[in-house]
Amino acid sequence: MARRTRVLLAKLGLDAHTIGVTVIAQALRDAGMEVVYTGLRQTPEMVAATAIQEDVDVVGMSSLSAAHMSHFPRVVELLREQGVEDKLVLGGGVIPEEDAADLLAAGIDRVFTMGTETQEIVACIEDWMAQREAAS
Amino acid sequence: MTDERRSRDLRAHQQQWEAHTLARKLAERPERKAAFATQGLGWPVERLYTPLDLEAVGFDYLSDVGFPGEYPYTRGTEANGYRSDLWTMMQVTGFGSGEDWAKRGRYMLDQGLTGLFLEYDLPTTNGYDSDHPLAAGEVGRAGVALDSLADMEALLDLPFEKLQRLTSICNGPQTVNLAMILAALERRGIDPDSFTLQMPNAILVEYTCVGRYIFPPDHGLRVATDALEYSVKNHPNWIPISVVSAQLYAAYANPVQELAFSFAIAKAYLDAALERGFDIDTLAPYFSFITGVDMDFFEAVCKIRAYRKLWARIMREQYGATKPESLQLRLTASPGTMSLTLQQPLNNIARLGIQMLACAAANGGYAMNTPLHDEAHALPTEEAIAVGAAIHQIVAHETGVADTVDPFAGSYYVESLTKRIEQAVWEEMEKVEALGGGLAAIKSGYFQKELARQQVERTRAIGDGDRVLVGVNHSTREEGPRSIPIHRPDPEVERRQIEKLERLRAERDGAEVERSLNALREAARDGGNLVPACLAAAKAYATHGEMCGALRDVFGEYTPDSQTTGV
Repeated sequence: MARRTRVLLAKLGLDAHTIGVTVIAQALRDAGMEVVYTGLRQTPEMVAATAIQEDVDVVGMSSLSAAHMSHFPRVVELLREQGVEDKLVLGGGVIPEEDAADLLAAGIDRVFTMGTETQEIVACIEDWMAQREAAS
Repeated sequence: MTDERRSRDLRAHQQQWEAHTLARKLAERPERKAAFATQGLGWPVERLYTPLDLEAVGFDYLSDVGFPGEYPYTRGTEANGYRSDLWTMMQVTGFGSGEDWAKRGRYMLDQGLTGLFLEYDLPTTNGYDSDHPLAAGEVGRAGVALDSLADMEALLDLPFEKLQRLTSICNGPQTVNLAMILAALERRGIDPDSFTLQMPNAILVEYTCVGRYIFPPDHGLRVATDALEYSVKNHPNWIPISVVSAQLYAAYANPVQELAFSFAIAKAYLDAALERGFDIDTLAPYFSFITGVDMDFFEAVCKIRAYRKLWARIMREQYGATKPESLQLRLTASPGTMSLTLQQPLNNIARLGIQMLACAAANGGYAMNTPLHDEAHALPTEEAIAVGAAIHQIVAHETGVADTVDPFAGSYYVESLTKRIEQAVWEEMEKVEALGGGLAAIKSGYFQKELARQQVERTRAIGDGDRVLVGVNHSTREEGPRSIPIHRPDPEVERRQIEKLERLRAERDGAEVERSLNALREAARDGGNLVPACLAAAKAYATHGEMCGALRDVFGEYTPDSQTTGV
C-alpha cells in the first residue's frame, strides 16, 4: 500500500492566527493525508528541521501578519542548503499580490491568498504527488 | 378574556390563516428555501412569530425585559438609552513607531472619533524587543512598536482633551504595559485620571484563540489580576479588565459559545481577584466586555440583549452582588472583521453600516469600535478611517435608531430569540462549570477544540454556498487585481526602531536597569503586585523585552501541547 501523503503545516514568526491552518489541516486530513502541525512561533530553522526529520512531502507555511517575506524564502534556502529539493513548498495567508510574485521567485512553489477554496490546495498537492510518482 | 382563552383563539386563527391565506400564496409561489436558519447558530427561523412563540419560551415582560436602567437590564443599563450620550466612537489602529501612531491617532480624532483602540505589534505583545530574532519582519507591522518608555512617550503625544477613551491592548505583559503608560503620562504631565484608560487585560482569551501569550496560564492570570488590583485601588475611573469576546467571535465562536465562554473566563478573573480580599460589589463594576457582531441582524440584537440580562443574572444569582453597578454590563460592541471580504471590498462599507445599526438598535454599548472596509487587504488607509468615522455618525444622527430605547423590545421574534439564546448560554455555562470552569477548560483545550470545529464548519458553509457572501460565492464579478488603495507599511521602521533601541541601551544607566530588573524578578517570586516593580523598571528605561524577559525567568514560557492547539 502506498504511503499516505505527509504534509507539514507551519506557523512562522509571531503570528498566531490559526483559523486558516486549522481549516486546511482538516481538509487535508479529510482528503486522506497525514498532517504534522508545528504549533506557533517557529523559526525558519525549526520548520526546515521538522520538515526533514518528519520526512514530509509537502511544506505548507501560513502567515497573516507580515513575516512571510522574511521567513518563507529562508525556509526554502535552508532546505536547499541541506540538499532537500524534493518537497512541494506552499505559502498562504494574507499575502499582497506584489509579495506573492516575489515569493514565487524565491522558490515557493505556490502561493494561496485569502479566499482560496481548500479543495484547490488539496488538488494542487494531489497533482504534484502524481507527477512526482510518474517521474520516479 | 383569560390568557388561556386568548391563546386558544390565536392558535385557531393562525391555523385558519395557514390553511387559507398562506396556503394560497404557497400554491402560487413556493418559498425561496426549504428551511431558513439563523446564521451563527443555525437555529430554525420560522415564517412568522406571534404571541404564541413568547408563550412557548415562557416569556414574562417584567422578569425577562423590564425597564431600561433596571434589573434585568435587557433593555439597557442607561434609563434613556443613547438620548443623553451617544456611544464613544472608536476604531482600532496600530502600525509603525510611536510617532507614526500619534500622528494617525490625531488624524482619527480630527475625523470626529472620540476613542482610540491601540494595537501593538506582535513582538511587543509577545514580550520581545524589536531586535529579537523572532521579531524580524514584524516590527511596526500589525501594530505599533514599543520597546521602551521613549516609544510610549512618543505614542501618547495626543490631544487628551479630545479623547474620551484609550484602549490599550497588550494582554500577555499587561503589568509592563500599564507601567509604561503610567510612566509616560507622568513624564508628559498628563493626569492619568483625566480620561478613561481601558486595558482589556484579556490574557485568557489569548490562550483560547489569539495566541499572543507569554507565560503559562496560571502566571498569565496572576499578571492580569495584578494589573486589575492596582488599577482598582489607584485609578477608579479606568476600565482595567475586559473580556474580549469579540476575539472568540472572530475565531468563529457562535453567539452561544461567545457568551458562555466569556462568562466562564470572566468568572475565572473574578474568582482570582476575590481571593485577594475584594468584595464582589467593589470588583464587579470594573468588569467589561467587548463583543463582536456579525451579519445576522436579529441574532446580533438578541445576543447583545441576552448578554446584558445574563450578566445581571450571574452577578445576582451566583455572586450575590447587590449594587446596580455590579449588575450592569459594561459593553463595547465591535462589528466583526471576520465578516469583511477581500473580494469587492467596498461591499464591506454596507456590511459595517448594518452591523453598527444592529449594535445601536440593541443599545449595544458605551463604546463601539469599527473595523474598516479595507482590513481584509492591509492596515487601513486614512480614507477608510474617514469612511469608518462617517458610518458611526450616519447611524447615530441619520437613522433615528439611537433616539428611542431598545426599539425592538416586544417584537415576538426578538423576544423569543433573546430568551432562547439566554437559555442555551446558561446550559453551556453549566457544561463548562462541570469541566472545572474557564481556566480548566482552557488548559484542557475544550474551548480551542470547540472553536476549531466551528471554523471548519463555517468555512465549509461558505465553500458550499450554504452561507451566502456577496462578491465571494454570490454575485461575483471579474475584478482587476485590486479595486481599492491599500496602506503600504514603511519598510524603514524596523531599522529605525532597532537603531533607537541600540542608542537607548548605550545611553541609559546600565547598573540601574540591572537593579530594577532584579527587583522585578524578586517581585515575581515574592508574589506581591508586579506593577510597582514594573513602574520602577520602566522609569529606568529597561526595555519592554527586558522586563518581559525578567518575568519569563521566573514564570517560564507557555507552549501548548498538541491536545490544546485545536489543530
